[in-house]
Amino acid sequence: MIGGLAWVSGVLALLSFLLVCALAGRRVALAHAERRRLSTEERLRPLALALVEGESVELPRFGAYESRALARVLARYARQVSGTALAHIGGFFEDRGHIAREVAQLESRRAWRRASAAHALGGMASTSATPALLQALGDSDRDVAAAAARSLGHLGALDAVEPLVYALVDGRLPRAVSAQALLSIGPDAVPRLRGLLADAPVEVAAFAVDLIGLLGEASDSPQLVELLRDTSAEVRAHAARALGRLAAQDASDELRRALEDRIPFVRVNAAHALGAIRDAFAAPALARQARGDEFDPAEAAARALARVSPGVLVAVAAEPGSGPHLAQAVDLLHVQT
Amino acid sequence: MRIFEGALVLFSLISFGYFVALNAVYLTFTAIAWRGVTYYRRAREFSGAEEAFASPLTPPVSILLPAFNEEAGIVESVRSLLALRYPELEVIVVNDGSTDATLRRLTEAFDLVPVRKASRAGLPTALVQGSYASRKHHDLWVIDKENGGKADALNAGINAARYPYFCALDADAMLEPDALLRVAKPILDDPDLVVATGGIVRIANGCRIEHGQVVDVGLPRSPLATLQVVEYLRAFLVGRMGWSRAGALLIISGAFGLFQRSVVAAAGGYSTTTVGEDVELVVRLHRYLRERGEDYRIQFIPDPVAWTEVPEDIRSLSRQRRRWQRGLVEALWRHKRVTLNPRFGVFGLVAVPSFFLLEIAGPTIELVGYPAVIAGSALGYLSLTFLLAFAVLAVLVGAVLSVSALALEEFNFRRYQRGREAARLVVMALAENLGYRQLLTAWRVLGLVDVARRRRGWGEMRRRGLGYAPARGESRGR
Repeated sequence: MIGGLAWVSGVLALLSFLLVCALAGRRVALAHAERRRLSTEERLRPLALALVEGESVELPRFGAYESRALARVLARYARQVSGTALAHIGGFFEDRGHIAREVAQLESRRAWRRASAAHALGGMASTSATPALLQALGDSDRDVAAAAARSLGHLGALDAVEPLVYALVDGRLPRAVSAQALLSIGPDAVPRLRGLLADAPVEVAAFAVDLIGLLGEASDSPQLVELLRDTSAEVRAHAARALGRLAAQDASDELRRALEDRIPFVRVNAAHALGAIRDAFAAPALARQARGDEFDPAEAAARALARVSPGVLVAVAAEPGSGPHLAQAVDLLHVQT
Repeated sequence: MRIFEGALVLFSLISFGYFVALNAVYLTFTAIAWRGVTYYRRAREFSGAEEAFASPLTPPVSILLPAFNEEAGIVESVRSLLALRYPELEVIVVNDGSTDATLRRLTEAFDLVPVRKASRAGLPTALVQGSYASRKHHDLWVIDKENGGKADALNAGINAARYPYFCALDADAMLEPDALLRVAKPILDDPDLVVATGGIVRIANGCRIEHGQVVDVGLPRSPLATLQVVEYLRAFLVGRMGWSRAGALLIISGAFGLFQRSVVAAAGGYSTTTVGEDVELVVRLHRYLRERGEDYRIQFIPDPVAWTEVPEDIRSLSRQRRRWQRGLVEALWRHKRVTLNPRFGVFGLVAVPSFFLLEIAGPTIELVGYPAVIAGSALGYLSLTFLLAFAVLAVLVGAVLSVSALALEEFNFRRYQRGREAARLVVMALAENLGYRQLLTAWRVLGLVDVARRRRGWGEMRRRGLGYAPARGESRGR
């Protein structure tokens, strides 16, 4: 028994010693690697700038380390530039075989390698990587899919719009990543998002509506106005919010009607939208909602009323029984002016 | 004599069993935590936290800051919160009947004016005497109420919160600029599933602090506080990460946690009748959601940091730990019915029984075990050689666990950049099993005594203040 304890103790002592050695060794190695990385990137920066500018540069013979360092610097620029400079960067990565190498890495058995490759492709500014990234969007590992989504967003890949929305709704992608990728694609994504509104599941339609509100323009409002009468409360609420973001004046009548919706969060969004549109005709309905509705819709209505018609707000708040939300809105009006 | 001998042997067996169970759990959790933290660190590169900062789809958050007699640091705390990187937030300071100049300091610094703030009537609280808004910061509110304790202040904050999520903080905790964004990330990704998340609490003693932010991470000079650095790293990176991965995280620190407001309100808010309101809330959320058969997740995230000051004197530390133990016992005892009930899944079958066994019964077994085995050895029932071999083994297991936690920190986060500080942490990790651990065990047993004596109240903690920074040339023990 004692022999066993001594044996286990010996193993533990050795393990402790090895752990401490690993800590010290790693610290030294990391410091060295960091110094090397910084000095290499600093040395390669002028070359990277020349490539971005499209200057004719004869590239010296690089080892793999320098080659990757240059790729890192260029990838950083790729997130900050557009147009011809971006094409130069993409061309560089294609010519040097980086795209092909990273695309090949998307087939790796190790998930983190696939994720790193998917991530790197987004910074290489070459749309030739889009098909491989679209495939990576369906990867069984969530990080690989997330990295692919970000990269597709950076590349502005329109073909990724529908897969990104469905991947989000199916829970295969983190919501924030998918949404941001779609926002990165920009207004060009709107026609495809509009295409998702018909016959799509409720969650898809609701999310598409949200994004149209962020990326679209006032001319997109008629389709959204129709959705204020959708059978799904979620779609109605998102449509109201989107119309507010688009400042869609022609949606005022329907939004005022949405203040009567039986679902509180639809009324909240309708009130916010009317506030954003600054629809003066909505003042009586907003005052009514602020006085007598549940907490959240009443609060939203009072805030909206402060934007729509401060004069009406002050008048109705002075009436007996006007309630706490109107009182708060009036006080805030005074604080903020 | 035979009865005594039998009892001694039985107790030795229980102690041995406890030792094996405890260390088996910790070693398993260390392995789980290595996997979890490493996975998290890699995933962080692809998680898009930076993008979430700019995203209009990121849900807004209400930050609740209960304050009782915090005149010394409240203004800096609020300033640091208003400077957080988060798209949309409001800060609600709840002045819980302070008898010092907390409210006056806030009024002067932020140009507060009285407003009639609308609040939900959902959670009962002590009387709210007034509300204030800031002319300088439209996202800052102050609720002034009669003293009712931290839980009561948080409930008042929940009633007043405008947004769907709230972040509960200690008044003296300092969040790193992107901490809120990182702790909110799981909620952004799975808003239908994640109801609460907690970040890591790190020790600010010894750090250089400017304008409510840690600008230079350092170790405290006090050995007692440095030992707590090692202890916190182990507790958070190993313990919380392990339970979180198992789907049964029971503790989100009161110093830094993010919650879905509607779920907390529906579950009844913070309990005002326990000093462990943070543990009790999380245990109650598990129970509430499992009783309703809902899918949910309560998650620990290892890299959003709240910095906080820890006691540097024995008396304050003793009070703190006795209170923590009291809070844990009160929380678990209140929900004892979930223990070993299959309806509550891992939470009821594994987590709660483990806490009862390892965190509540364990310290007593350990504390009684020390004199018992010594007596057993002195009376010839136990071989002295065996006793010494066992003691060495116990110390070494502890050392491996502590050094593993440090390695986890070093490989993934590397907050302590200076080589000397890292070396000092290693020394403390090796030394903490020789005295400090036994002290903690004794205080936890005293915490149980406090429960039995129905002791109430929080006790006081002597603070140096987080604004403290060593003068130039002053040694920090490095």
